[in-house]
Amino acid sequence: MNRFILLFVLLIALGFSSCTDVIEVEVPTAPPRLVIEASVDWQKGTSGNFQRIKLSTSTPFFENLQESPVTGAQVKITNDSDGTEFMFQDENNGSYFTASFVPVIGQSYTLQVDHDGETYIARETMTPVVKIDSVFQSTENGFNQDALEVNVLFTDPANVPNFYLAKFLRRGDLLPTLFDIKDEFTDGNQLKIIYERLDNEDTGEYEFEPGDVVEIDLNGISSSYYDFMRLLIEQSGNSGNLFSTIPAEIKGNCINVTDPDHYPYGYFRLTEVDKRVYTFQ
Amino acid sequence: MNFWNPPFQKMSKLSFLSWMLTLILLVTAQLGFGQEYRISGNIREDATGESLFGASVYLEGTSIGTTTNDYGFYSISVKEGSYTLVISYLGFDDIREEIEVNDNLNLDFELQEASNQLNEVILESENIEDINIAKPEMGVNQLKVATIKQIPAVLGEVDVIKSIQLLPGVTNNGEGSSGFNVRGGSVDQNLVLLDEAIIYNTSHLLGFFSIFNADAIKDIKLYKGNIPAKYGGRASSVLDVRQKDGNNKRFAMTGGIGTVSSRLALEGPLVKDKSSYLLAGRGSYAHLFLKLDEELRDNSAYFYDLNLKTNFAISEKDQLFLSAYFGRDVFTLAENFSSSYGNALGNLRWNHVFNDRIFSNLSLNYSKYDYQLEINAFEFDWISEIDNYNLKYDLSYFLNNQITLDFGINGINYVFNPGEISPTTPTSGINFLQLDEKRAVEGGIYIGADHKISEKLSLQYGLRYTHFARLGGQPITEYLNDQPVVYNELLEIYQRGTPIGQTEYARSEVIDDFGTLEPRLALSYRLNDFTSIKAGYSRVAQYIHLLSNTTSVTPLDVWTPSGPYVEPQLSDQFAVGFFKKFNNEYSLEVEGYYKNIYNRIDYIDGSDLIGNNTIETEILTGDARAYGIEFLARKSAGRFTGWLAYTLSRSEQQTPGGTAGGPGINQGKVYLTPFDRTHDLSFTGVFRLNKKWNLSTNVIYQTGRPVTYPNGQYVYEGLSIASYSDRNSDRLPAYHRIDISAIYTPGKPGRRWRGEWVFGIYNIYNRRNAAAISFSQNRETGLNEATRIAIFGIVPSVTYNFKF
Repeated sequence: MNRFILLFVLLIALGFSSCTDVIEVEVPTAPPRLVIEASVDWQKGTSGNFQRIKLSTSTPFFENLQESPVTGAQVKITNDSDGTEFMFQDENNGSYFTASFVPVIGQSYTLQVDHDGETYIARETMTPVVKIDSVFQSTENGFNQDALEVNVLFTDPANVPNFYLAKFLRRGDLLPTLFDIKDEFTDGNQLKIIYERLDNEDTGEYEFEPGDVVEIDLNGISSSYYDFMRLLIEQSGNSGNLFSTIPAEIKGNCINVTDPDHYPYGYFRLTEVDKRVYTFQ
Repeated sequence: MNFWNPPFQKMSKLSFLSWMLTLILLVTAQLGFGQEYRISGNIREDATGESLFGASVYLEGTSIGTTTNDYGFYSISVKEGSYTLVISYLGFDDIREEIEVNDNLNLDFELQEASNQLNEVILESENIEDINIAKPEMGVNQLKVATIKQIPAVLGEVDVIKSIQLLPGVTNNGEGSSGFNVRGGSVDQNLVLLDEAIIYNTSHLLGFFSIFNADAIKDIKLYKGNIPAKYGGRASSVLDVRQKDGNNKRFAMTGGIGTVSSRLALEGPLVKDKSSYLLAGRGSYAHLFLKLDEELRDNSAYFYDLNLKTNFAISEKDQLFLSAYFGRDVFTLAENFSSSYGNALGNLRWNHVFNDRIFSNLSLNYSKYDYQLEINAFEFDWISEIDNYNLKYDLSYFLNNQITLDFGINGINYVFNPGEISPTTPTSGINFLQLDEKRAVEGGIYIGADHKISEKLSLQYGLRYTHFARLGGQPITEYLNDQPVVYNELLEIYQRGTPIGQTEYARSEVIDDFGTLEPRLALSYRLNDFTSIKAGYSRVAQYIHLLSNTTSVTPLDVWTPSGPYVEPQLSDQFAVGFFKKFNNEYSLEVEGYYKNIYNRIDYIDGSDLIGNNTIETEILTGDARAYGIEFLARKSAGRFTGWLAYTLSRSEQQTPGGTAGGPGINQGKVYLTPFDRTHDLSFTGVFRLNKKWNLSTNVIYQTGRPVTYPNGQYVYEGLSIASYSDRNSDRLPAYHRIDISAIYTPGKPGRRWRGEWVFGIYNIYNRRNAAAISFSQNRETGLNEATRIAIFGIVPSVTYNFKF
């Protein structure tokens, strides 16, 4: 809802002589922390055996080198019911890979990362997702009646709380766009996600054009991962805005059992995902 | 650092009664002097018939004197004899009248604007408010509209809320933020009254303007501390705004045409000298400029408001007043989005003078604030609102020249609708949802005394007892271990509790109730005719809270009552002051304050308030405190008038985990509130160049607002994610600017049509003050950057005002 407030604040701001500009700001620098991006995504119709986990450390906010990979760690996932262990191979570039993971919907798994004499643990359950019903383009939906947008339809299962993460990436773009979705107000309905782009010289975004290709991911996610992603999306969008919430540290589900104060960033997620690729006509 | 434990308690009604009785006994013990007669009456303005409050009435050569009350009524008692009665009021000519007292007298007076002012319309500089050496009143600022009108304003729009921010101890979150903060308190801790009716949102266009139309307002009074016993319900301040009664002598018209808005006020007698009306309207047309812009053509943003007031003198002793306000803001974004919000209120009041000693005011108020939103792209609309009826009965008893008693009762009935979501099309993906409506009643009973103990020592003391009952008609959710919020020890985060059931309360049932005894005490000790020292203490309970977890308050924020999971806020404020007049031109006020606020809610990291039926799962309760020292130096006469205000202060909060467990918000450490300003300096000056030109300026400097900056970044999902340092541990750059304005009054004096041109430049050196700095990743380069949002650069304006 805050995004709508932001929209009309910007509108008014435009109406007056207001402007935004990019400035130099001195910000504090905290010591680096381990970042665990353990996104175990099981694409519908695949075996889900191939999985990759990324480890890195945090860096100063304005540093150009944004990723600093972590190598030499031990990474494994354990099936909590039968104790099967899936060991991940160090690829020496911050990625850890396995070709033997066995995903089971509703199954709980434990991630263990050993690095620098400290052990990090997280537990999560594999969350299913419904199939995307259809993907189509239009101009009349969204905020600009003339701009192209892609619509994604899917049907929410009734009477259970469901949470979704939708990811859109236009080929050629550097950054994806994420949406956090919950069915609190829309339980059991066919839901529509509209992804429209508006011309914005400041951010370098342009409207969709025929020929543009968009990759679409729809993940079914857990309630606590939803909370994590909602905050992450909100804060990565435009934190510190007049009508945004006060930003805060986003803590995931990974804990440091050796030294709790030395907690890592990131999340261990287990999701089912449905993917589409759409080409604008 | 430790805060006190909340001294919150449920006081029995019995012990309150005994307190009251003791007080009354103390007071009546003062009775029983020789034969005395009463002189009482009303003081009004000659030209318009408007009642004047705060006018002084005294007997020359004696120490007997008083000031008129809020309705222009006075009463003094004297022994038989001959006296010279002097009536004086700043900016008006004194009246001196020889009187022979051998019976009770009823004397009404009408004061004329000071003769040297007649030629120069309202531009004479003697409108700057005087300080009161003798009264124990402190932490009070009174501003007349004539003063406010001289202050340079952004876009030439005269603004009450912006003006009070030039006073020490009053700030806000910068341009484009709603409301104001008093002595380190939050926006919802201000009781804002317009003709006694409660206002829930004081802003138009998200805070660029306030809802008060200067042409309809008589004066304002701001209590920053030492709140008198007759007021209650908000922890930090009272802003009492009064509409004009309307000219009961002749028809008059005032208005103005400005860059963004225009206004018109009509007033006149219904029955000459007996009853009058005022009708005022104001509207903005800034949205017309949007039409000029190709991209913004389909959008609009505007506001309007209407003020109405009328009064009838039924008899010598009875007067009826009816006042109303209606205001609205409307935003639309093409056909996709529309939102509108506003206040509506009405007040019916009956002033009755029982006799020369007892004055009463019975008032019935209604007020409502609602917010509506329609998002066509997602096919739903949203409505939230708060409304209340408030019945008040206030009496003043002029016991003798030493003691005036004020006492009364009031009751407020609230209905809160935190939100209703409806689909707007049959194909909408949104289901209908009505969040639980909440109901509550708040009652208050008070007695207060103004007591002149001796020539040197005056006291103001009182007691207020308030009681708040949260009424049924809704279910209340119960949580596992009675924990609506739970600390997750493992992940070290606060999470929503687990609901285990619901209890449905009938409308007749009381879900929870609270009572608070609120003592108020102030004293003033006069060292000499020009110098006094004052001290005071006040306790105020606040039972309703504005839920806002955003940097600035938004019109969408909803109010919520205290109840099973939300304790009432309680403030204890101590203040001391030093007041000195150097001669009739200069004065200096220095006040120090220390304020504790108990049970101040704050929001857990990642809280989500909008559309939330169980906000108790998003909040923790902590204690806030604020302290500071304020300086106010004024020059109130001569060609140059103005003031210099400086405040050095701190406002901080600590929010432990409480029943949720864990260390609390910000790891249990003390953090600054967003309203903390170490330094706050403002200068306002008006220089009368000649009969036609008046020049004025504002100079403002403030420490930047506490904010939370990133202290690192990491890559997740292909995005650069910021990590953040402790809550509010950084600051925006300092805020400063200078405004100037010139008022030109052409034409010959004495004409009925009086026009003036107001030329203003806001922020003359085009300082780009950061209203906020946001941190994000540039989508083209992938690099992180800091973006400053500066609302107003340099803004020139021209306004034409007229009076007929």
